[in-house]
Parts: sequence; C-alpha cells; structure tokens
Amino acid sequence: MTDTRHHRQRLLEEIGAVGQQRLRDASVAIVGVGGLGCPAALYLAAAGVGRIALYDDQRVELSNLNRQLLYGEADVGRTKVEAAAGRLRAIDSSLRLEVHVDTVRAVNVADVFHGVDLVVDGTDAFEAKFLLNDAAVLLRKPLVHGAVLQWGGQALTVLPGGPCLRCLFREPPEPDAVQSCEEAGIIGAATGVVGSVQAEEAVKVLLGIGEPLSGRIFQHDGLQGETRVTSFARDPQCAVCSSNASITDLSHYAQHVSARGHILP
Amino acid sequence: MLSAEQRQRYARHEALAEIGPHGQERLLRSSVLIVGVGALGSPVALYLAAAGVGTIGLADHDRVRLSNLQRQVIHSMDGLDMAKVEVAGRTVRRLNPDVTVEAIEATVDERNALQLLGRFDVIVDGTDTFRARYLLNDAAYLLRKPLVHGSIFRIEGQVTVFIPGRGCYRCLYPEPPPPGAIEDSEDVGVLAALPGIVGTIQAAETIKLITEAGDPLVNRVLLHDSMAMTFREVRYRRNRNCPLCGERPTIHELIDYGAFVGATP
Repeated sequence: MTDTRHHRQRLLEEIGAVGQQRLRDASVAIVGVGGLGCPAALYLAAAGVGRIALYDDQRVELSNLNRQLLYGEADVGRTKVEAAAGRLRAIDSSLRLEVHVDTVRAVNVADVFHGVDLVVDGTDAFEAKFLLNDAAVLLRKPLVHGAVLQWGGQALTVLPGGPCLRCLFREPPEPDAVQSCEEAGIIGAATGVVGSVQAEEAVKVLLGIGEPLSGRIFQHDGLQGETRVTSFARDPQCAVCSSNASITDLSHYAQHVSARGHILP
Repeated sequence: MLSAEQRQRYARHEALAEIGPHGQERLLRSSVLIVGVGALGSPVALYLAAAGVGTIGLADHDRVRLSNLQRQVIHSMDGLDMAKVEVAGRTVRRLNPDVTVEAIEATVDERNALQLLGRFDVIVDGTDTFRARYLLNDAAYLLRKPLVHGSIFRIEGQVTVFIPGRGCYRCLYPEPPPPGAIEDSEDVGVLAALPGIVGTIQAAETIKLITEAGDPLVNRVLLHDSMAMTFREVRYRRNRNCPLCGERPTIHELIDYGAFVGATP
C-alpha cells in the first residue's frame, strides 16, 4: 500500500525512492499545533515523515476553528495534540505520532530537540521563538521558524553553523509591545501559507535537497498580495550564533510560561 | 447578524479591520465553486470552510486513491474509493456546520460549465489540465465572474486572479502547449507541501475578492519555485487582441476545448 501512497514524490528526481525512505526514517517535532502547526503537520504527515512529535498544552476552542484546520467542531474541549494526532492517523495510520500536552520551556527544550532530526516552530509567542532559536544554535539542530499575524507572516530556516533569528531580530519585543492574535485578528489562509512553507522547508532540509531559507527570510503580505524572499547576512555580533556570542546556555530563560505562551521570570 | 456562537468562531476575523462583523456576514452569504478537489482544491476548500464561506461548491468526477493522500489533505483513508466531492464535503461539514456544501460529482465540461459556474460568486481553478483551464477561463469570462487561478508543475507553482475585463488566462497564455509537450499529470512528480502554498494563497485571494479587502493578484502572476525557494511576480496586461476579452473578440460561446488543446480523445 505504501508503495503507491507516495508515488508522486518518488517520481521527483529530487526525492525518488531513496529520498522517500529517508523521510520515512526521519523525525520532526512540531512545537505548537495551532495556525502554523496544523498545516505543517498535515503536509509533513502527507509527505511521509515517519515520526512526528506534537507539542501543545492547549485545548481546542471554537475561536481556533477559523484557521486551525486539523480540528472540527466535535474536537472543541479536547487537547490539541490528541485531536491533531487523530486526524493525522486518519491520513496515514502507519505514522509514528508522539503527543505531548506540554509547551516548550528552558527546562524541556533540549529534550524536544534531542529526540528528532528537525524542529518546526508553530508557537505564537516571541519568547518561545527565541528560546527555540537559541536552542537550535546551541544544540546544532535545524529549526524552521515561522510567525504570523493578521494577513501575513514570515519563515526562515536556522541550520547548524548558519545565521539565525537573532541575526535579524536581536531580542524578542516586550510582551506589551506586540498585539496578540486575539487582539489583532488573523486570517486562516495566511497561517496556511506560512505553515505550508515551513513543511516544504522541513522536507528539503531532511533530504538535503534544494536551497533552504538559510540566511534568507520569506515574508508574505497576503492583503497586498506581496511575497518576497530576502537574503540576510550573519550578524558578526549575534548574541547566540557569532564568535562573540554572549548566550552560551539557556539559563537566562525562566522556567515558567504564561497562558499566552510568554516565558515568565 | 452573527449568532453568539458565530461571533466566537469568527472572533479572529472580526478583529481584522478589513473584515470585521460586516465582512464576516458577506463571507457567510457568499458562494464559491471549487473545480477540482485534489492537491489545490483541498487547501482551498479547507480554508474557505474555516473562514465561513456560506456555500462551497465542490466539483470533481474522481474518486479518492491512495496516491492522492500524499498531498490532497482534505481526504483520508476511510474515504478511499469514494467520490472526492463526498469525502471533501464530509470534512468541510465537520470543520464548520455554517457551510452548505454542494457536491457536484461530475467533470466540468462544455455542456455544463455555464450552468454550473453561473450559480456561484467566485470560481476557483483547482484543475490539472490545460483543457479545463481554458474552459474555466472562457466560461468565467462569459459569465463575468472572477476566477482565482492556481497551478502546479513538479516543483513550481503559480497563482493569479482574473477579473473580467482586466485580463484572462488567454492574455497570459494565448496558446496551449503543443500536445505531448507536457506529460500527463499522473506521470509527473509533485512535492507534498507545494500545492498547500499555492492553494492557501488561492483561498486568501478568494476571501479578499468577497470582502473587497486589500490588493488582489490581478494583472500579476506569483511564481514559486520550491527548490530554489524563490517567489517572483510577473506583471501582465489584458491583451487588446485577446480572442476572448480583447477589443474584437471572436469567442462568444464555449468551444471544443479538447480540440483546442489537441487532447487525444
């Protein structure tokens, strides 16, 4: 059965039978199974990534359903990771799915990375995104970053030895300085574009094919219909990935996370 | 007026200045026909359903096969061998009971196109043949309906919007490729997440057309290369000599599209 499931990917010279087997043997953690994590998980499962670990500590709410398309009305109140795993299993029951009713914190981020080949950032708080970035650099594991708000978003890939999120955005903004998705609003399809780009990046990095978004940032403004990919250089003073790094461990991150995903002192 | 439950479900849309409660009511009153419920139609239908488009027409003659599940994420194992429109309709209803699904298990062809397309506000092209693309283009123009075009080939994809009088698929591609120049889609590889990117942009463009938000992808085609990870925008204009939408049109009704593209019967 699995012979025909991924037939169209095997036909791609960039993937072939060998690449398909590599995907089967690969593992990805998706941290946050919301607007970004849902499409990323759907496409990674469909592509045949053999083991997927899902992290999210929230339950499905009605206001999620305008964009988090792994969930239906009957899932409201269930943990997101359980509901997501159910839907992914319905697509391919041979996938190995791990569910963690948990969010990422300084104390568990190393475990999240150690268990897998690559991490997809589907979180919705900047502190969590910087924590994942710093951990990816320090642990030398690939991370596909994504972020969305309103009609648009961005994605980039942090590869071992390559530039990172801090080369572009030095520090996370103050929690009060940015609007939450609740206040600002969001269009489901915008999360779908960025989440699908993250899945595409993950497949390319796992297989070592194509040009990933390393040292480049994908930016999408759905409202104006503008999409661009811009190169950026490593910041020679980058706090985490340069030779002058001041961040050499994760001890500056606190251990607790607020209900909105902010890491609390 | 939105119900209390709807206000919760669409809270993230209501927060957006470009949509708000008024735009949400327009979405709920609107009707969209998705022709082809495959790689592109899957994310389009999922995101339009999540957004609360009131009536979604799904047209496809095909049945779900195992090899579809690698990218056609609206379908699942328990829908194997069932009509795609039936399986997709079930997923849509599970996501959002506000949506009325019109499942049309048929090939859209010269005989039924005008009657079918005429019942909807916006047409989305999720097909994978040149015959269908020219047919939908001509039918949508003759009915003066906006058409959201998307297509993928191997590792590349494109999206654009045709608004009657402002250019059409024939202005962009006056002639189909010579018969045999493009392989049958069954024999061409495709990466899982690529149609996710193209299809979700098609969904966002559809939402923009219905709510009159932002700047639609009119007179510009967005081209994506998944391996190089580039996005390019190419501008085009209405061709004054276009046989369909030019100054002296010669096409006033649907033609024989099989003969036009040189398809073998």
